[in-house]
Amino acid sequence: MNAHAAWGHPLLLAQVLRPRHDGRSEAALRVDALGEPRRALALEQAIRALPGVQRVAILPAARRLRVVWDPRRLSLDALVERCAAMQCPARPLPHDDADDARAAELHDALKRLLVAGMCMMQVMAYALVIYLGAVDFVDFTTRGLFRWLGLVTTIPLVAYSAQPFFAGAIHELREHRLGIHLPVALAVALVFLASAYDTLRGSGEIYFDSVSMFVFLLLAARYVELRARHQGNAQGDAAIDAAPLLAQRRHDDGTLETVPALALRAGDRVHVAEGDTVPADGVLESASARLDEALLTGESHPVLRRHGDALVAGSVLLDGPVTLRVERSGEATAVARIGALAIRARQARSFATDSDRDIARFVARVLLLTALTALGWLLVDPARAFDAALAVLVVACPCAFALTAPAAFTRALTALARHGVLVTDGTALTRLARVDTALFDKTGTLGVPRLDFAGIEPLRGDAREEALALAAAVARESSHPLARALADAASPLGPARQAERVEAVAGAGLRGTLAGRELRLGRADFALGHALASERQRDALLLADADGAIAAFRLAERPRHDAQATLDALRAAGVAPCIASGDAPGRVAALASTLGIADWRARQSPDDKLARLRELRAQGHVVLAVGDGSNDAPILAGADVSAALASGTGLAQAQADLLLMDDRLDGLARARAIAGEVQRIVAQGRRWSLVYNLCAVPFAAFGFVPPWLAGIGMSLSSLGVVLNALRAGRAPRQELRA
Amino acid sequence: MNILLVLIPVTALVVIAGVALFFWAVNHQQFDDLDTPGILPLLDEPASDATPAPAEDTTGKP
Repeated sequence: MNAHAAWGHPLLLAQVLRPRHDGRSEAALRVDALGEPRRALALEQAIRALPGVQRVAILPAARRLRVVWDPRRLSLDALVERCAAMQCPARPLPHDDADDARAAELHDALKRLLVAGMCMMQVMAYALVIYLGAVDFVDFTTRGLFRWLGLVTTIPLVAYSAQPFFAGAIHELREHRLGIHLPVALAVALVFLASAYDTLRGSGEIYFDSVSMFVFLLLAARYVELRARHQGNAQGDAAIDAAPLLAQRRHDDGTLETVPALALRAGDRVHVAEGDTVPADGVLESASARLDEALLTGESHPVLRRHGDALVAGSVLLDGPVTLRVERSGEATAVARIGALAIRARQARSFATDSDRDIARFVARVLLLTALTALGWLLVDPARAFDAALAVLVVACPCAFALTAPAAFTRALTALARHGVLVTDGTALTRLARVDTALFDKTGTLGVPRLDFAGIEPLRGDAREEALALAAAVARESSHPLARALADAASPLGPARQAERVEAVAGAGLRGTLAGRELRLGRADFALGHALASERQRDALLLADADGAIAAFRLAERPRHDAQATLDALRAAGVAPCIASGDAPGRVAALASTLGIADWRARQSPDDKLARLRELRAQGHVVLAVGDGSNDAPILAGADVSAALASGTGLAQAQADLLLMDDRLDGLARARAIAGEVQRIVAQGRRWSLVYNLCAVPFAAFGFVPPWLAGIGMSLSSLGVVLNALRAGRAPRQELRA
Repeated sequence: MNILLVLIPVTALVVIAGVALFFWAVNHQQFDDLDTPGILPLLDEPASDATPAPAEDTTGKP
C-alpha cells in the first residue's frame, strides 16, 4: 500500500491546498532536508519535472517548500511520494491564513513603495524645471503649468503611498499614545496642503519634491524591515509545523490506521507517539503522560496527566506512546486552535517594542518644539511662522531614531538565519549582548553519541563489519541521534544496504526488512520481542531478527564537532561555560575535561538544573541556557536567553529564544558577536540623531532652514543611519566561508 | 515649448504602464522568492529522474 495515500483524503486536501484564482493549487511542505543546498536543488528539479507543476519555491531557513501545481494532473500524495523517493521526507502543512496575510502585507508595501518611487521621479523632474526656470528661460505660464503638474503627480503619492502613515497616526491617536507615525503624517499633510494652497493661489514656495522623497525613503526603510521580519518569524512557523494533520486511529483488533485528524469522530481511539502533537481533544486511556502545553497556556513546565484526564489538541506529548479516546474533533479543536496559536505567536514578539517608550518621549518633545516655534514666530512675524514650524517638524522628526533599531535588528536576524540561527524573540538579542554565563546541557547538546568498533559485540559469531552493516541498513532511515551514530560508524564500510519498510517505534527502536529478513534495532526488550534480555545487554542497543539477538552496540560519547570552537569563542567573548547534566558523574567529567570546562554538575534533575540557574542569576550573572529540546524546557524558560538545538519540529523548541539549526553550535558564538554589534550600532544611531537635532533644530526654529532643506537633511540623516545599521551582521573577512 | 504638451502626457502614460506592469508582477508572486532563481544557473546537471546515490544522504555530514 502507498504509505502516503492518506494525503489523498478530501478533508486533508481542503486543509492543505490553497486554491488559486487560476485554477491551480498551492501547498507548503515542511522538508527538514532543505538545509543542504545540493539536495534542496536536486529536490526542486525533481519536483519541477513532475507533470502539472508550475512553480517551486524553497525557503531554506524555514525548511519550507512551496509548490504551485495543477491538482487535476498531479495528486498531493504523488508529490509527497516523490519527495520521499528523493530521500527528503516532506510533510504537507495546513495552509495558514496568517501566511496569506503576510504575503498580502508584503505585496501591499511593495506596491506603495513603487508608486511612491515613480511619482517621486516625476515630481523631481518637474521641480527641476521650476528651479531652472527661476534662473533661466522658462516663462511664467510654463512655470505655473509645472507647479500644477507637481500637484497632480503628488496626489497619488500622498493619497495612496503615504496612506499607512495616516492610518498609523489615527491608530496611535485612538490608543492615546505618541508614536512615530504621528509626526510623519503631520509633516506630510502640512507640507502637501501648504504647497497645494500655494499652487492654487499661484504664488509662494512649493515642496512637492521634498514630500515625495520623504515618503519614498520612509517606505523603502519600512519595506526592508517588513521583509526581514517576515523571514525571521520562526515561532509562528513552528506552531504551524506542529499542527497534526494526520492521526493514528487504533482499531478494535489493535491495528493502526493513518487517517486525517479531521476525520476523527468522538469515540475513536487514537495512538499518539512520543514527541507528537495531540490531534484532537479527548480523554487519556493510558496510565499517565507528560505533556507540554506551553503554546496553549504559556506554562513552561510539563504537565502530568493521568488516566481519565482530558488532553487538549495542540499540546505535545513528551513521553509515550499513549492511547487517547477522542471526545471532540474537527474544526472545533485542533486546526482552529493551532491557527490561532500561530497568529498569536507571530504577533506576540516584535523587536520594536522596547524602543517604543523612547520614541513616544521623543515625539512629544518634537511636537512641543514645533508648537513653541509657531507661537514664537506668530508673536514676532506671523508671515514666517508656518515655514519655521514646518522646518522644525521635519528636521526633528525622529525617523533616524526610530529606524535604527528595526533596521539593525532585521539585518542581524537575516545574517543569523544565514548562519543557521533562528531568532524567535528579537529582544533576546539585547539580552544576549549582556550574557556572561552559559549553562549547557550535555547529552545531545555538547556531546553526541559515537560508536567505536570496540563497542560492537557480535552475539552470533558474525564479523563486526557484517553486524554493523546490517544495523546501519535500518539505522540510516532514522534521524534519531543513536541511529545517526550507527550510520556514521558504518559509512567507511562503503555503500550502505537499503532496508525496506523501515518504521520507527517511538521510545523503543526501529524495525525494517532487509532481503526478506525482519530486523529490529533498539532497546533490548523491543529488539527481542518480549524475551528478557540478559543484564549485560540491557544498557546496549540491540540488533535482532526473528531468531534472536545478532549483535549489541555500546555507544560512547564524543564532543559535538564544533563544541570546542564554540566554547573557545564564547570564552573569548567573556562568557563562562558550565554544564548541568542528568547523566552519571563519570561521563560528565570526561566530556567536561575534554572541553576544558571546570564547572560541571552531574545527576541533575530538571528541578536541580532550575535551582542551579536561579543560583547563578542570584549571583548577578546573566545566563544563557542551551539545551536540545523539551526535557530542558524549564531552564530554557527560566534563563535570560535560551537557545535550543532544533533537530526536530516540536513545539517545545519554539519556547527558546534562539533556535540552532543543522545540529551546529557555532551559531551561538556568532549570535553573541552580532548581538554586541547591534547594541553598538543602535547606540551610534541614537547619538547621531541627538547631535543632528541639537545642531539643526535651533537653525530651523529661528527660520534659517527652508522646509526643502529640512526635508533633504532629514532624509539624508535617516538614510545614513539605516545604511550604518545595515553593517550589523556583516561577516568579518577572515570568517567568510566557502 | 509646445512639444511639452505632447511629451508630458507621454511620460505620464509610460509611468502608468510601468506601474500597471509592476502591479501585475507583484500580484503574480514574482517578487516572493528572490533567492532561488539566483542559484538555478549554478546547477551543473539537468533535471533527471534518478534518485541521488544513497551514500550522499545520511553519511555525507561535515
